[in-house]
Amino acid sequence: MITLTDVSYAYPDAEHFALEKVSLHVGRGEILGVVGASGAGKTTLAKIIAGFIPHVDGGELTGTVVVDGADVSELKLSDAVAKVGLVIQNPFNQISGAKYDVRNEIAFGLENLGVPREEMAERVAAAADLLGISHLLDTSPYDLSGGQQQLVAVASMVVLRTPVLVMDEPTSQLDPAGTRMVFDVLSALREAGSTIVVLEHKVELLREHCDRVAVIARETVAAVGEPREILADERMTEWGIGATRFTQAARAAAARGIVPDGAVPVSIDEAAVTFGEEVPA
Amino acid sequence: MFSTPAKTDDSHRMRNTILIAVGAVVIVATYLYLVIGQPTEVAESSTSQASLIAIAGYVIGAILLAAGSIHRLPTATIAMIPVAIALNIVVGQLVSILGLPVYLDSIGTVLVAALAGPAAGVVTGILTNVIWGLTLSPLALPFAVVQVVIGVMAGYAARYGMFRRFYLAPIAGAITGIVAAVISAPIAAFIFGGATGGGTGALVGAFQAMGQSLLGATTLQGLLSDPLDKAITFTIVVVILAALPSRFRQRFPFVRQYRVFGKSAPAVTSKSASVTETEG
Amino acid sequence: MASTLYMDRNSPIHRLNPVTKLVILVTLIVIVFAIPFWWVAMGVVVLVIVPAAVVSGCGGRLTRIALTILLPIVVVLFIVQGLTFPGGRTALWEWGPLALTTEGLLFALGIGSRIVCLVLASILFVLTTHPGDLLSALTERGMSPKFSYIISSTLQLIPAFQDRANGILLAQQARGLVVGKGLRGRISAMMPLLAPLVLGMFTDVEERATAMEARGFGSTAKRTALTPVPDTTAQRIVRWAMPVVALAAIILPLATGAL
Repeated sequence: MITLTDVSYAYPDAEHFALEKVSLHVGRGEILGVVGASGAGKTTLAKIIAGFIPHVDGGELTGTVVVDGADVSELKLSDAVAKVGLVIQNPFNQISGAKYDVRNEIAFGLENLGVPREEMAERVAAAADLLGISHLLDTSPYDLSGGQQQLVAVASMVVLRTPVLVMDEPTSQLDPAGTRMVFDVLSALREAGSTIVVLEHKVELLREHCDRVAVIARETVAAVGEPREILADERMTEWGIGATRFTQAARAAAARGIVPDGAVPVSIDEAAVTFGEEVPA
Repeated sequence: MFSTPAKTDDSHRMRNTILIAVGAVVIVATYLYLVIGQPTEVAESSTSQASLIAIAGYVIGAILLAAGSIHRLPTATIAMIPVAIALNIVVGQLVSILGLPVYLDSIGTVLVAALAGPAAGVVTGILTNVIWGLTLSPLALPFAVVQVVIGVMAGYAARYGMFRRFYLAPIAGAITGIVAAVISAPIAAFIFGGATGGGTGALVGAFQAMGQSLLGATTLQGLLSDPLDKAITFTIVVVILAALPSRFRQRFPFVRQYRVFGKSAPAVTSKSASVTETEG
Repeated sequence: MASTLYMDRNSPIHRLNPVTKLVILVTLIVIVFAIPFWWVAMGVVVLVIVPAAVVSGCGGRLTRIALTILLPIVVVLFIVQGLTFPGGRTALWEWGPLALTTEGLLFALGIGSRIVCLVLASILFVLTTHPGDLLSALTERGMSPKFSYIISSTLQLIPAFQDRANGILLAQQARGLVVGKGLRGRISAMMPLLAPLVLGMFTDVEERATAMEARGFGSTAKRTALTPVPDTTAQRIVRWAMPVVALAAIILPLATGAL
């Protein structure tokens, strides 16, 4: 569904490349998590997949970015936007402000594209249902919590029926409850047919929800693989990401000579299992 | 693959240019009519129908200008305008609460015009008054054409390099203020009889007592406050924009094309350090 | 929440199509300017605006808002033009260069009655019309949806902006900014407030623009609307009749030489 081949990009007026020689493949219906230290290039990657780079940001992009059969870096922005939905960090900035209730807010994109009224009504209802926000349809978007606003933002993208959805740190401005709300819908979205790329800091949640995880470090893809493999990788600190709390706990335990059997835990469930066993003295 | 930023919707380019031209002509013609036409007669009697023509001319002209200008604006500019209008209104309100003898209700308009050109200034200007009318007081609505003119002049000032140096901006502001005072004088005279506020009313009364006609009095009153207010506004804008990183400013095609803030960094990417200069 | 003066009530006036109300408002403005006798403006107030206000259920609010806005203006108007009107000849009372003249008072009456009528009509219009409906209705009739976007967006942004401005003011005060006395002090108090406000503005704007593009805002397709604004044939007729009335108001006085 998404194939980046040898992509390099530098922002205008930049001294060096933001991303260099990135190659990545995401299969249809897959949920890919992307981790990386702040400033490592996650947002740049998100914008490249979504087609906003180079159309909006300018600069020079080399390599191919094929999404759903077409190279988005060569399409018109309006065509690129039809292939990839983009959800960004700040829930407040994604509310258009043009509409006074959630129902019309979700429909905003469809109105811009000239979709007929009945079809709009159906698609809005379906998207709201998928994301569990049907009870909010008559509320003003400004009266919602951050998590709810992000769900509205996701719904606004889902309603456009793009084959791919890119979410750039969708929970970084949310509290734990809001974060849960957003991550919990990922599976529902995949079931509805989306291919999803989630760029995040919250490594623990990525392990629960993603099929694979990619690491961005030193301006390129440093590693791609199964979540637990990546998260247990010792180079995580070197990459500027650090390990999950449970991995840190297990390593600290190992340093004190308490070495449990089995793999290093990366999540709370695994930690419970690992530390619950009889540990050799 | 090098790509240009999203293109604007200029599929009706001809129509928009005509709208803008006609709008501008209507406003100028209205003003000339008021100045060369029958100023004394108009001032003497509140029953004069010249007021209707004057106001209608200004309103229709402003609407035509705005209708022609909106289509030139790309999404990035449009995203900026609500924030600029909010800035106009919040600062304007704050200033009147603080009791300062200035208005400072055009900072957003001048800001947008300096970054995105006169067309953006027009839209910001007219909608500021519309929204002020909807939320605070309808008395702001007749003055919409004045904000439009401020937007236009700020845009052209930016285009001709008046924002490149700190001392040029206030001069551009003062000139804009003079034009603003002169255009708004008939509105203050014929719709409000000079009574747009306590202080301004008193000044108008003083000038009339000295022998000025109503129109003369409102013009003089305007000339006392508008040039100063706009000079301060333009200065505030140039100071704020100079304090921003060059990257923010250079995102705007208008800024790059007319070198609004002086020499920009080379647009082509290179691995050498970029050179930026802010003059002034 | 929209920050206009709109009051949500269910009255016949509220239910009218916003464009109908707008057309009527404009016609009233034309009538009051075209036949600028004070009793015409007052007639409009008594015969059109007051009944409409009563029917709409917004009379109380209308009175309060209008008084706040109108009282200072009208008082200043009568004092200034009453005392210093250039065309004043018949002096009722004199004191140095100031003379209370009948011409001045009549002038003030003419202007004042017009302002009162216009302010009342405009505020009533805003009280009974939801901005979203107004903008939808106008967009349906050909106004660029970009205007609709900008206006609604600003209305909903202003409260957030005011909050942010207050927050910045508090933060600056905590850092020792004192709103100083005198003109200079107060102007220099504004600067540390403006800079963070404007800076915040720029980061937001980039993101907002991205979000808008992602939702097809730059599309050149003919836009549709999810929620139509109700309209009736009767209103359509009224809307066509109003410009005729306005034209008549302009022509009649000229034709009969009443002015």
